[in-house]
This record gives sequence, C-alpha cells and structure tokens, in this order.
Amino acid sequence: MKKLLALLLAVLMIAGTCVAFSSCKKGDETIKIGLSGPLTGGAAVYGLGVANAAQMAVDEINAKGGINGIKLELKVMDDANDATKIANNYAALVDWGMQLSLGCVTTQPALEFKALSKTDNIFFMTPSASADAVRAESNGYQMCFADKKQGVAAANYVNGLGLTKIGVFYQSDIDYSQGIFTEFKANLNDTITVVEASFTNQTKSDFTQQVSTLKDCEFIFMPIYYAEAALFMTQAKSETGIKTYYGCDGLDGLESELDLSTIPQAITMLTHFKSDAANAKTFVANYTAKYGTDTLNQFGASAYDCIYAIVGALEAAIKAGKTVDASTSAADMCKILKEQIDGGYTYSGAVTGTGEVKWTTDGFVNKEALVHVLKEASN
Amino acid sequence: MEFLSALLNGFSSGGTYAIIAIGYTMVYGIAKMLNFAHGDIIMVGGYAMFVALVFNQPLVALAFAILACMLLGITVERLAYKPLRGASSLAVLITAIGVSSLLQSLAQIIFGAAPKMPTQFMINGAITLGTFRINYSTLVTLAVTVVIMTALTVFVKYTKTGRAMVAVSEDRGAAQLMGINTNRIIAITFAIGSALAAVAAYLMLMKAPTLSSTLGAMPGIKAFTAAVIGGIGSIPGAMLGGVLLGVIESLALSVPQLAPFTDAIEFAVLIVILLVKPAGLLGKARREKV
Repeated sequence: MKKLLALLLAVLMIAGTCVAFSSCKKGDETIKIGLSGPLTGGAAVYGLGVANAAQMAVDEINAKGGINGIKLELKVMDDANDATKIANNYAALVDWGMQLSLGCVTTQPALEFKALSKTDNIFFMTPSASADAVRAESNGYQMCFADKKQGVAAANYVNGLGLTKIGVFYQSDIDYSQGIFTEFKANLNDTITVVEASFTNQTKSDFTQQVSTLKDCEFIFMPIYYAEAALFMTQAKSETGIKTYYGCDGLDGLESELDLSTIPQAITMLTHFKSDAANAKTFVANYTAKYGTDTLNQFGASAYDCIYAIVGALEAAIKAGKTVDASTSAADMCKILKEQIDGGYTYSGAVTGTGEVKWTTDGFVNKEALVHVLKEASN
Repeated sequence: MEFLSALLNGFSSGGTYAIIAIGYTMVYGIAKMLNFAHGDIIMVGGYAMFVALVFNQPLVALAFAILACMLLGITVERLAYKPLRGASSLAVLITAIGVSSLLQSLAQIIFGAAPKMPTQFMINGAITLGTFRINYSTLVTLAVTVVIMTALTVFVKYTKTGRAMVAVSEDRGAAQLMGINTNRIIAITFAIGSALAAVAAYLMLMKAPTLSSTLGAMPGIKAFTAAVIGGIGSIPGAMLGGVLLGVIESLALSVPQLAPFTDAIEFAVLIVILLVKPAGLLGKARREKV
C-alpha cells in the first residue's frame, strides 16, 4: 500500500512538472529575460534586491507598452551564490526561451554563466558581478564598476591623502575583495606601509583578532561587503587609534545594518549608487513602497539600470531599422545589442553613477564614481 | 604581546567552539548520529534572544533562548530522528542535513535576508596592563566555558541520569536491558546539547553582534571538526579539540601571510591528528571484532 502511494505521488509530481513546463511554453508573445541570483542563503539580500528591482523595471516598461508593443518577461532562478548550480539554472532558462539575460548577481556564478552563454551566444548584462574576468572576452557587460577600476580609483584617492601607514581589511576568498585589494596594492605609493588583516567566509562571524591587528591604523581601507564591515566597525568601536574607514561599493547598505551614530570613526566610500542622490530618488521611493527597505541596495539599483539600458539599446536598434520581437533568436539579440553598445550607445537617466552610462571600447562600464561620506568622525 | 593577545583570543573563540562541540559529541556518543542541524540550533538561539530583547534584559533573553532551544532540540529529535532510530546512519545524516536547511530557510522567511545586529549583548571594554589588553568578553567566555565544562563533568560522573548517559553510549542494547529508558536519555541529551547551543549563541553575539540565518553553519562545522580532533563521543575531547582549534585559528589570523589559509591550516591539523591518532586525541580506539 505504501509503495503504491509513493508511486502515485511520484507520477503526480512528474505530471505536475510537465504541466508547469508546457504552460510556460504557451505565452510566447514576450521578450524573455533570464537571471540567476542568490534568493536564499548568505547572499540572499543581494539577489532579492536584484530580482525585485529588475521586476519593478520590467513592470514599469510593460505598463508603458513594452518595446514596440511587445511586453517583457523576467524569470529569476535561485543559485544561492553557488557556482555549481549555474549549469542547471542556465539550462532551465534556455529551455524557457531566454532571449537575453542579466547574467548572475554574484561573481563566481557569473563566471560560470559567462562560459555557458559564450557557447550559445546569449547576451548578458550583469548588475553586480564585478570581477574583470566576467567581462573579458564574453557576450557580457557590467553595470557595476569592474573590480580593477575600483582598486585603482581607491589607490589614487589614498595616495592623495599623505598618509604613511594604512590598514587594509579584506576578504581573501572572494574575487570582489581580493581583486580590489590586489589592484589597490599595486597602485599604492611605495611610501605607504600597509598593515593587512583578512578573513574568509569561514571566519567572518568574529573579528576580535583582526581588530587587534589593525587597532593602531588611523586609516583603514575595507574593500568588503557591508555586513562584515558593520561587524568590524561595531567590534572596533572603542579603538581610538582608528580614525577613518574607507570602502568601495560593497559598503552600500551599511546604514540599513548599523546605526552609524554609534560608530565614532569617519566612514567614506567609493560608489556608483547613493540612495539619497537626486537621480536615485524616484527609484528609491518606488522600491521601498513596493518591497520595503530590507533589500534596497546598489545591486538592485544596478539591476534596474540594466533593464532600462538594455531596453534603451533595443529601442535604438529598432530605430536604426533592426527587427526585435518575441521571435528574435538569442543569438540575433546578442548581435544587435553588442553592435549597439560597442557602437557607442549612451544610456541616460540611470539611477547609478551621475546619470550617464557608456561602455568603453574594451567593454567596461564608463560612468562617474561617487565619493560618498557616510558620516564624519564624531570624537 | 601580539602573540599573547592572539593566544587569548584563541582561547576565547576556542571556548565557544568547545561548547558547541560538546553538543555534537554528546549526541554522537549517545544517539550514534551526526546531528548536522546542531549549528542551526545556535542560529535559532540567536534569533530567540533577538526576539526576547523586548524585555530589554540580555540575561532574560538568554534564559528564553535556552528554553526555546531545548524545546526545539527535543522536538526535532522526536519528529525527525526518533522514527529513524533503526534506520541506516546515512538516512539519519541526510535527515539532519534536511532539518538544517529547513531551519535556515524558516529563519530567512521569518526574519528576512539582511543580517541583524543586536548590540545589546555586546560587552565592551578591556583590562589594560601596559600594552597588553584582555577584552572583558574574552574573560567572560573563558569563565563560562570553565563553569560549563566542570558542571557537565560532574553531571555525567555523579548523577543517575549522567551515568545512564554513559551507559547508553557504551552499549545501548545492554543499557536498555538494565532498565534504562534510552528514549528519555536521548531526549535529555538533545536538550542539553541544544541548551549549550543557546549559550554558544550568547557568547558569539557578546563578541560579534551579527545575526543571520547562516550564523551557526560555520561555527557548527568548526565545532564538529573540534569534536573529531578531540575524539568524537568524548566530552573532554570536545573541550580540548575546541580550544585547540580556536587557538590555531586565532594564531593563523594574526599573521597576514597565513590569514587567507586559516581554514586550510585548521583542517591540515585535523588530518595530521587523525593520521597519528585515528580515534582523535582523547577518543577510545575500538578494536573491530571479527
């Protein structure tokens, strides 16, 4: 009896899956955009931000009639920030009929996605996978700054401060942090002594040791994400030897995590998204009204820009006489978009940067970096 | 000085690992299963304390978390593990991993993906002796660890329930024949392990106030490693393994060139110890009877 029941359940499950897939195939009247990001697990806050904001952009564009009357459709797969899940997610998206993509949210999965999309000639524009390798020789573009560019910009900034000794606090097992740190160190003046402390995903729940290594550094550069930065700052609250923290776009969202007034040190960052910038106001208001502040971050803002940038490029292509509709193949879509973007397409009205986004001839994003003072020192 | 402070930090984080490792090792010793959801009990403990902060009393929150965790531990054991008592150890292992995922997902659904920072548990300040400093939190962790270890040792050695636990771990069948209610003993073991997990959550939040659905995952694996280093099934072994692991971790982190390889170093030590003493430092080598 039990066996029969198990068999029945299995059959039902298979039947259910078939129905689900066949119903997907029906609505072929849309342009299909695929995305894989961490909707669960430790990086979920980024993936949810991207998924929400991208959906919001899609809904807005559809409400205005879509592209030339054709609606957009977004499908998000969960990869839990695990690169081994990408092959499956990618295959599911291709089966679904993905014509173009936002790639992945985080770097490691994005590298996997890049390799797969290269063979199939599928275009992607990632909101946030920032490793230089994501862009290099691919069908992909980035809306965020590549790590290299952030590392160089940060080094230039620090070189101009006239310090002789600085501390660096970085995460050694993620490309984002390690990549920025490597470029930063390579471009830093030799006269500046660097005290290093690092952590890995396995040692990120307590920074007692790292605080005691860095406690005599007046200036600490931390190219890491905000959750860990918030923890470090909280644990180092009573260290009077530390005066200033400086981070990259990973620090965005810090205010949501940490009551900044409880931190005596100054906090500054290099970023492409400020939630209080004039060009971000409408986005922030609409996003928080829909999804709250929990997942509002630069990842989402960047995803919102990705959708609008892609739509803008497609519209420009249509104006130039190309045909873009629900039946355009992924490879054609890729060719059209690459031609547009490599041909000097400018996306204006962005909520990241200062509003104008271009891509250089080697494919890296070209927009203004913002220096954002999160808070002044309060001693 | 740097070395000494790294050493002390190591003792402190090692103490926390030890408390978690005791949970692993007791459950393994008595129920003969690897409870991979143990780390997530810590996380639940953290969130329970976070919720109980409405009373604005960290210690009340701790008491609440201990109760909540004990209840959770017993419930999980009753619902997920007890039906599998006779099943293969692999089935139980997979179930434990399933429970772990379930708890993490539930926490994320209830509390959201963004980490919480309950700073109310933090103990700031330090004792300064010249250039040498000891954080109060380090001292508290050490004290709590010592008290718990002593209490557990006394409990296991001198109380009826404690000795019943030893008996069940030695030979469950024989213990049952001697009139010991093994189901009750296993439930008590889960309750104690889970209560210790709540204490560990408190110690973690006291030093580093960050709370997310994956809070317990890594410390859980570290503590499991500690339990294996010390000899799984042995309570003093778990204590020794935990402290050893904490010290190695802290020393590695204090050297910039070694820091990125902290985990590799820790697990390399595990491998070396297992090569020399396959049953762990204090584990009993059991000869297989053929």
